[in-house]
Amino acid sequence: MDVLPMYEELLEDIAQKNGLREVNPHLKLAGALGAIFLCLLSQSYIAPLAIALLLSGGILLLARVDLRTVGELYVAPFSFALMSVSVIILLAGGGQPFWSWSPFPWLAFSITRGSINEGIFVLCRVAGGMSALIFLALTTPMTDLFIVMRRCRVPEEVLDLAMMIYRTIFMIMDQLVQAYQAQRMRLGYTSFRESVRSFSMLCGSVFIASWIAGEDLIRAMDARCYSGKFAMLGEIQPVEAKPLLAVIGFLLVSAVIVVLTGRITAI
Amino acid sequence: MGEIILEARDVRYRYPHGMEAIRGISFHVRRGEKVALVGPNGAGKSTLLLMFNGMLRPDSGVLLFDRQPIRYDGKSLRELRRRVGFVFQNPDRQIIAPTVYQDVAFGPTNLGLPDGQVRAAVDAALRNVGLTGFERRPPHQLSSGEKKRVAIAGVLAMDPDLLILDEPTSNLDPAGSEDIMELLEELKANGKTIFISTHDVELAYPWADRVILLRGGEILQEDSPDVAFGNTDLVRKARLSVPVLLDLHQELERRGLKLPEKRPRTVLDMVNAIEQVSRKGASSPLYGTIHVCNVDETGQEGLSGWLSRHDGISLGAMGTRAKQRASDEGLTLDFSYGVIDKCILKALNGRSSLILTVGGMVQQVERRVTAFQEESGAEIPVREVERT
Repeated sequence: MDVLPMYEELLEDIAQKNGLREVNPHLKLAGALGAIFLCLLSQSYIAPLAIALLLSGGILLLARVDLRTVGELYVAPFSFALMSVSVIILLAGGGQPFWSWSPFPWLAFSITRGSINEGIFVLCRVAGGMSALIFLALTTPMTDLFIVMRRCRVPEEVLDLAMMIYRTIFMIMDQLVQAYQAQRMRLGYTSFRESVRSFSMLCGSVFIASWIAGEDLIRAMDARCYSGKFAMLGEIQPVEAKPLLAVIGFLLVSAVIVVLTGRITAI
Repeated sequence: MGEIILEARDVRYRYPHGMEAIRGISFHVRRGEKVALVGPNGAGKSTLLLMFNGMLRPDSGVLLFDRQPIRYDGKSLRELRRRVGFVFQNPDRQIIAPTVYQDVAFGPTNLGLPDGQVRAAVDAALRNVGLTGFERRPPHQLSSGEKKRVAIAGVLAMDPDLLILDEPTSNLDPAGSEDIMELLEELKANGKTIFISTHDVELAYPWADRVILLRGGEILQEDSPDVAFGNTDLVRKARLSVPVLLDLHQELERRGLKLPEKRPRTVLDMVNAIEQVSRKGASSPLYGTIHVCNVDETGQEGLSGWLSRHDGISLGAMGTRAKQRASDEGLTLDFSYGVIDKCILKALNGRSSLILTVGGMVQQVERRVTAFQEESGAEIPVREVERT
């Protein structure tokens, strides 16, 4: 690992300049949450799969995020999902068995029609839900979500804290990267022992840095007449007809698929 | 000069368990002045500045703001901090909120202004520093210079009388530093009093009306820049260096060159001084014209039409809005800081130039050129571009 991966910054940076940046965040949130809800509601694998494809298409074509970034984002959740799904396929039962193995009298593995169907269903659900979350993360920056949260009556204290944390994360991240690079330049991670030592020092220095940043934050707020009010939020983009129709259309089509596909199974 | 806005009387401060950082300092700042507090690292500059808005309380001595002793109860401090805007050295330490808009709105919101006024204050502050359109950007994506501007806007939004900037140009590249100094010049033209701390003598020398040399918590000297920096012994004591122009002037004088009495503050002063010596008796040359254009009152056709009629003219812009306009119209600027001086230099060389600027700065051009004329006798014509 030559450079620290910085997914948080990466995601946020992409979201800040994606093709759907100017769409009202309520709409994007409604689309994503609606998609997750429909994925959970559907009894067939087809609707979640369709939702995953539609939203991925949206990320690639409308938000114009490049394929590689999106691919990388899908890798981690999918590898987890594949592992869980393989366990489900082996353990779940029902229907005609294709293969079975019983190493002990009390333990049996089998692959059946039912277990394969169940596995595919779970995998597609994961895909649908993940693509909804990734769609939201890539198209809606945190700064817009804060505004939505305030409109949804999230308590002020929670929101102020969230905003301060958001602002501080990037500063501490910078410090972390600098300290880490300084350690690497002086060969801090060459052996296992050395790595453990360096890592503990890194944690210590970042802790102290965040402590100081906290004290500075209080001073900065004092110097600017803090009286318990965090700045009010800016305006958000108005709801426009085209994106509104697109979200309604997307949710309607998905809902129709959910209803029409009923309990259709893969095999 | 205006009345006294800030005054210190024998102020002392000792850090808890530490050495005495400020050892009996007295000085005053007048309304509309530009003062630079210059000293080496560890001289106590930041400590002193933090007293001006009540972040630190002196152990003894009195600080007066607007002729009233500073009081340290919550309500008085809030009022003080509204009127004394403090810009930290590191903008990352000052910017609190997740977006530019929210950060600039922080002060006005906490002052309890209604939403409409907050919005107006933020818009005005962002326009002032040239960051209109940055409202929704998160600060961590901005450059150092832009962050500095956000920090300044956050303070301007509270409409302070006195602006205090701790090392305003540290961590900025040369162009970024010049932009910030130009911005401070503009704010001064809008009636703000400005007090900066720095150890960059080249920066403080042409800019400041008055310089306070600080070392080891004491004032070494307080005077106009050419006098304060002209004392080589003191400058060495303060671990600073003599500004290049002043050094050059002194060296030339030592070599018997009869230069005008007044010490040069800018390249223009120096060129003028040398020309006066070398051109003695020669006939007066033909000067170029300085054209001034108020971009708020000149339409795009007017400006581009004017430029097409005056091909090859040098172009300068003064003020953030003028610079914005120039970049909007795809104009390449020959000068973006110290513009008036550079245009006078051109004019002395027989070349004409155009200065893009706004409102009150138009008069500033005329004032500067008139002042130069009185000093050097060079009659440089200044013409305003016709409004369209």
